[in-house]
Amino acid sequence: MCPAIKETKEMLHELLDNAGVTVIYLDVDGKIIFCNKKTEIMTGLKHEDIIGANWLQILYRGNNNIIKQDMFKAVLDECVRHKREKDFEGVILDSDKNERLISWNFTPVMVENEQVTGSILIGHDITKIREAGNSAKSIDQTLKNILSSLKEYALYVINLEGNITYFGMGSEIMLGWNRKDIIFKHADILHDKEDSENNLRSILEQVKLFGKFEKETALVTKAGEPVAVILTANKFLDSNGKHSGYIFIAKDITERKKLEYQAFQAEKLAALGLLSAGIAHEINNPLLVISGRSALLMQEKLGQKIKDDLELINSQAERIQKMVDRILKFSQKTKPAFGPVDVNEAIEFILPFAQYSNLPDIKIEIEKEFAKDMRPVKGDLHQLQEVFLNLIINAYQSMPKGGVIKITTSNFNDLFALIQIKDTGLGIPTEHLKDVFMPFYSTKSDGKGLGLSICHNIVKNHNGSIELESQLGRGSAFIIKLPFI
Amino acid sequence: MLYKVLVVDDEAPVRDLLNDLLRREDCKVTICGSGEDALEMLKKDVFDVVLLDIKLPGISGLEVLKNIRDTDKSLPVIMITGFGYNEDLICKSKEFGCSGYIGKNMPVAQIITTFKQFAKNAKNGEKPAQ
Repeated sequence: MCPAIKETKEMLHELLDNAGVTVIYLDVDGKIIFCNKKTEIMTGLKHEDIIGANWLQILYRGNNNIIKQDMFKAVLDECVRHKREKDFEGVILDSDKNERLISWNFTPVMVENEQVTGSILIGHDITKIREAGNSAKSIDQTLKNILSSLKEYALYVINLEGNITYFGMGSEIMLGWNRKDIIFKHADILHDKEDSENNLRSILEQVKLFGKFEKETALVTKAGEPVAVILTANKFLDSNGKHSGYIFIAKDITERKKLEYQAFQAEKLAALGLLSAGIAHEINNPLLVISGRSALLMQEKLGQKIKDDLELINSQAERIQKMVDRILKFSQKTKPAFGPVDVNEAIEFILPFAQYSNLPDIKIEIEKEFAKDMRPVKGDLHQLQEVFLNLIINAYQSMPKGGVIKITTSNFNDLFALIQIKDTGLGIPTEHLKDVFMPFYSTKSDGKGLGLSICHNIVKNHNGSIELESQLGRGSAFIIKLPFI
Repeated sequence: MLYKVLVVDDEAPVRDLLNDLLRREDCKVTICGSGEDALEMLKKDVFDVVLLDIKLPGISGLEVLKNIRDTDKSLPVIMITGFGYNEDLICKSKEFGCSGYIGKNMPVAQIITTFKQFAKNAKNGEKPAQ
């Protein structure tokens, strides 16, 4: 061999040995004619043990996975038959019998007349690359799972044009939109356009100015209903760190708002109660003097006209007296005589009294659906009867053209007796719902507006809750929860 | 004379009315406008019954009652109040040893009847009904 050829051969060997890939040269029968150092390292075999051996036996030694061997062979056969390169990924065992994923490139070796004399296998170990890829995929999947699990949070992303590019499962639940229906729609539809401080434009301006937006506000559902939320908005950066849109996270705080409102309502009522007691006391003294003096005068010898006038003064004073008594009753924190109360029996007892409030020519039907074996609640029988009586009379009065009153009792989570008194009456406008339990609020021209506030106080003293749901023109439903003993 | 009564109320029209009503019932009535005055009068004179307003400027009606009971366990003291039927006040009054409780929200005829009933019971040594 001439020195130049020898030198070239050595250089090629050196090059192949230092290449980070496995290089194997096979003859047409699949016997290994040549292999580089990397092949020895990977298989853990000596050079002389490899050369002349069948390539499948070397790469799959000790591994009886016939399917993998056959696949490997089939790919190589195809490569030789069709005389073209073939890429293939396959698992082999390394010297420590660990599985290695190799990306193979099979190239047929052809002589001048295109006759295949063998093939070259170049294998690139991609185990680590794939593992890293898999873990990236796994992190991606985990993030998707986390985002999907956040059902209490509405998460959505918009691009710089304001179009929605991501809409999480929590958003679907909270806002009633189906992901496929809202994607690429403008996010304006999720925000109250009329609210100058919290519409989308204003929010984005605040993010630009202050870096983020965080505030108690409201989002708008598909049905157009507002949902009270704590909304956070931030810039959304893509994988290159480029500002590509905005990310919104909203937490539904409807329940919290409801509790806050109830607490506020209770405080307001308590303050009003104190005030009422003071006022009532101040009225009672002069009223006693008016009614007392007029009563004394009536016993004097006076003309009939004067006597009639005194009678009128007295009766009007008595009217004020009754009103003051109602106010005092509302303001007093009377201590209920607690005992076991059967809610079903309490309602049955007062029903005949409630029916007296019905005018004879108005047809009102009572439907009862009482839970069987209802556990007793802890309460003051008379006070609870007053609540039920008030609410049922209320239902009667809300149906001047007749209708149905449905009274149901049920067990709520084994903790509360749930009593619902529904009517098919006039209903109350949404904007007035928050006022119905306030004293002196009445929709009736002759109403004193104390009945429902007294009911509210009684139920509250029983550690229960009372709510009103109403739709104008369709009716109202009082929902009371009283704790079981 | 039915009873010698001390009426304690800070509002002149009310105590004058009570004075007139009780005089019609053949009672001998002395009126005063504060708890301090009432205690002074009780030191100087002897009464059959005290009709005592709960809300008074200075010493309250309940404190006057407590003071009376420190020295006299049997003098009938009937509490009267503009707060009407108030469970807390009734309980407190009973606790301090009152002989009866009248709300100013009652019709006058009922106020007098109730007063007479409580006074009679107290004279007979009965405690107010629970």
